[in-house]
Amino acid sequence: MNELLPVFEWQQHVIAPWTTGLKSTLWIVLMGFFVATACGLLGNYLILRRMALVGDAISHSVLAGIGVAVVLALQLDTVTLFIAALAAGMVTTLIIEIIHRYTRVKQDAAIGIAFTSLFALGVILVSIKSGKVHIDTECVLYGEVALVPLENFKLSLTPALAGVIDKLPMSEVYLRGNELVMAPDVVRMGFVALAVALLIWVFYKELLVSSFDPALAFSLGINATFVHYALMALLSVVVVSAFESVGAILVVAMLILPGATAHLLSVRLPVILALTVLHAALGTLLGFHLATWLNCSIAGAFVVAGMALFLLAWLLSPHDGLLAQWHRRRNLKLEPPEEISRTPRARN
Amino acid sequence: MRHLPFIAGFCLLAAAMPAWADRIGDISETSVIEQAKRFFSFRDPSVRYALIGSILLGISCGLMGGFIVVRKMALFGDTLSHAVLPGVALGFLWNMEKDPVAIFIGATLAGLLGGAMVALIRQTTRLKEDTALGIVLASFFAVGICLLTRIQKMPGNKGGLDEFLFGSAASIGRSDIILMAVVTGLAVLLVGLFYKELLVTSFDAAFARAAGFPVNIINYALTLLLAFSVVVALRAVGVVLVSAMLITPAAAAYLLTDRMHRLLGLAALFGLISGVMGAFISFLTTNIPTGPLMVMAATMVFALAFFFGPRHGVLMRWWRQKSRSARVQRENTLKAVYHVLEAREFDGEGVSLRELAERRRETLDEARAQSDALCKHHMATLHDDGDAIHLTPEGWQRACEIVRNHRLWELYLTNEAHIAPDHVHEDAEIIEHVLGEETVRELERALNHATRDPHGRAIPGLADLTSGSTPFGPPETVTGYASR
Amino acid sequence: MSVNATKTVEPPPLEFHDLTVAYHKRPVLWGIDLEIPKGQLVGIIGPNGAGKSTLIKAAMGLLPLNSGWVKVFGEPIGKNLKRVGYVPQRESVDWDFPVSVMDVVLMGRYGHLGLMRRPSKKDRNIARDCLEKVKMLPYANRQISNLSGGQQQRVFLARALAQESDIYFMDEPFAGVDAATESAIVTILHELKAKGKTLLVVHHDLPTAKEYFDSLLLLNMRMVAYGPTEEVFKYDLLQSTYGGRLTILSEVAEAVREKS
Repeated sequence: MNELLPVFEWQQHVIAPWTTGLKSTLWIVLMGFFVATACGLLGNYLILRRMALVGDAISHSVLAGIGVAVVLALQLDTVTLFIAALAAGMVTTLIIEIIHRYTRVKQDAAIGIAFTSLFALGVILVSIKSGKVHIDTECVLYGEVALVPLENFKLSLTPALAGVIDKLPMSEVYLRGNELVMAPDVVRMGFVALAVALLIWVFYKELLVSSFDPALAFSLGINATFVHYALMALLSVVVVSAFESVGAILVVAMLILPGATAHLLSVRLPVILALTVLHAALGTLLGFHLATWLNCSIAGAFVVAGMALFLLAWLLSPHDGLLAQWHRRRNLKLEPPEEISRTPRARN
Repeated sequence: MRHLPFIAGFCLLAAAMPAWADRIGDISETSVIEQAKRFFSFRDPSVRYALIGSILLGISCGLMGGFIVVRKMALFGDTLSHAVLPGVALGFLWNMEKDPVAIFIGATLAGLLGGAMVALIRQTTRLKEDTALGIVLASFFAVGICLLTRIQKMPGNKGGLDEFLFGSAASIGRSDIILMAVVTGLAVLLVGLFYKELLVTSFDAAFARAAGFPVNIINYALTLLLAFSVVVALRAVGVVLVSAMLITPAAAAYLLTDRMHRLLGLAALFGLISGVMGAFISFLTTNIPTGPLMVMAATMVFALAFFFGPRHGVLMRWWRQKSRSARVQRENTLKAVYHVLEAREFDGEGVSLRELAERRRETLDEARAQSDALCKHHMATLHDDGDAIHLTPEGWQRACEIVRNHRLWELYLTNEAHIAPDHVHEDAEIIEHVLGEETVRELERALNHATRDPHGRAIPGLADLTSGSTPFGPPETVTGYASR
Repeated sequence: MSVNATKTVEPPPLEFHDLTVAYHKRPVLWGIDLEIPKGQLVGIIGPNGAGKSTLIKAAMGLLPLNSGWVKVFGEPIGKNLKRVGYVPQRESVDWDFPVSVMDVVLMGRYGHLGLMRRPSKKDRNIARDCLEKVKMLPYANRQISNLSGGQQQRVFLARALAQESDIYFMDEPFAGVDAATESAIVTILHELKAKGKTLLVVHHDLPTAKEYFDSLLLLNMRMVAYGPTEEVFKYDLLQSTYGGRLTILSEVAEAVREKS
């Protein structure tokens, strides 16, 4: 097991990245934070609308969009990727609706069929062309935040090599294949996160009403269908932006974990949104250090850290946590029952 | 007969596959037929294993998929297939090599743990089913990725990450096949033995519980079997796409049959076919992983069922709709002929096309087209050089029926449902075409065999409809039950 | 007797004309013709599956119409949404949603705000008043799952009040509600009526229907009767409504669904 778990050294794994490796550390952590924030905030609305796995579906089928772009030998710049992702997201939503509306196949199976087919298509398209274009299936799928391609040489950010990276000016640090510069990537992601936060703030009540009570939304003149498609479109854009750092597959975790954790800690939506951002920050930080210690996939480490936070919240949440419930059950036997009548929770 | 479009489409698809494979992949110089022979002749051991493996996984995924689809557990299947990844990694670590048994055990344990965690989250928090599934899916998968990337960096590592993610049928070895065969056999056996238990708990768990079935145990068993299928398919299809092999063939079967046992059979068949097609094309090309190909094959089968399924297929329904509209058109024409005749108190047999066109407010050409359609269906004949139309006995019967239905319904709506007389016409225009004979009897009884509709026109009665041979006798016989 | 040219006669709050509505292609309502004048408290009664909720939803524009039309104050409902308030059935909502009682009532004000505006102090005051009226003000900050059935219903009512509409549609507001809440709701309904509002309420209980409403609409897939309660609450009409004599309608509806 020695090989599996390297020794944890405080100096090397916690302090050094923030001193000697500061520049690259900062970029990586910021990127992770922005991705988690954008996904987490948006993901809250997926959770509220009971569409958590639609996020999973869209993030897989975005690959098909990219595959088409690759096959058409398009330049893989930001705009093309956004458009490809948007198109893929809309196509997925459409296919799900068509299958589920015109046949007796239910929505869950329709989602499964739609995204797996598109995903398979994407992988096939990318594989066909992968000899000819520098898109690495692995990279696109589960990302590698700190890939530094010097020719085809893949490094990961072990402490020993951090020094090497640091000596290169950030502008010359390239991600493999796409020829996209890392610093602008982070900045772009930052803009996306900001845009998501802004949109949520501006359209707060429209999102709230259409998620809570579509009939009321209609009677207030809010078009719930439009909100749905707009959310899907935003989701596609966020997903494709997050691709390069955490990859398609792990975006799902970023969509759900922060929001779910926040839901365990509060019953007020504004607080939940704030806690989501907090989770994004903490998870990214802890995850980064986990990755430097274990020398494994950084994106995966982000998620593992996020999951650890979720488990903590599940256990320790003051009102709803497992410990609190156990404590209440113990006390229930000693005290008379309370007056407040609770409505039985409807199990969907 | 009505399955013909589906089967035809399917054969076309199967024949076309190699041609597509030719265009998308790098195929060696030997012709496709040669390759096919080599593939299916079982001579090449690795090819043999790939083929057998695809068959086995198709069957087991199809079978379990049938239950998943009817229980609306499709997304649970997806979660399970992602949740096994850490188990795969740990199983690999056990011996530092790809020992199928260790991987199998690890994957199954991880899958069961994931399933348990989903249930636990649902029971102890306010989070809903889809959120719980997403949490487990993403977290477990991330842990798996972490472990796998870690393993890749360890010295002496033999793993290929792509293989686990997207599958590679070529890497299936002898011991893998044995394991797959055992697991598939077990699944088939258990489903066969406990068919009725699985059926009743899938359909109505509350009822099953009340009837004394151990519903929880059966659910756990199903989850276990599901985990087995996932692991069986893992090697060939890869972690990400296993759920497709579970859902898509079964969904296609769901569209084609209304009986559970046939659904399971069809699902297994489609799974098998997709698996083999995928493996075959992967064999023909060199750079495309097997998993996506199998999934695309399954999707094509689903698409065929979606469009051409005899009962629920979209194209078939459209075609049925069209023929229904055509029938309604013909009946409306018959009705118009009746009205024209009635207007002149049934004096004379023929109705000129011009009168018909006027009555229906359409052009002469349209009227001609309508009467041609009637002739084709033996409801009318053309006279006077094609300018006049005469109804055959069948045509006359149907015309009377339609008019009767219309007027009865109008009367019913007005008298019994108290709907204003000027509102009932439009309804009756639709209803007249769908009333069955049973319902008509009931209506006649409910209305005391009335002879006049709300507008005072006669309702053709039984006498007119059974008079058959000479529809045009003296006027009295054509005015309802007046002769009774 | 000169006609005062400046005085316009307002169209009736609600008009149905030959309304036929299908649910999953199965006709549920046939040829409903109805005009409801201002300031009426109308109860809709009928057996299960009679189409009562369907009528309300069709009036709100939530369901497509097979034929006929609905007019609210003389216009199609899309144009007059602001004047319509809706109290849905309690099951239609996820009670675990992270909103407080006050948040829900504030939603009623959204129709009066523009696309990106926030509720103002005035809106909050109105919301508070409505909560006070239904006696739920102490619960303003509570999350909605911690409420009993009657309390939830009152929150919905407060939200509808906050909409300040002229016509209210309510779907079984008395279902599963305790006695205190029931009388509170009835009081509010009468207050609204006194202010000239028009109320269309789906009700499930016959005896109380006679007490609560001025007019009744007897519905069983088609309109059996409509009029003042004393005139309509008669044995033979009720028998028509609740008795199963119109099975033919159901059969034919089924035939339409199958063949189309």
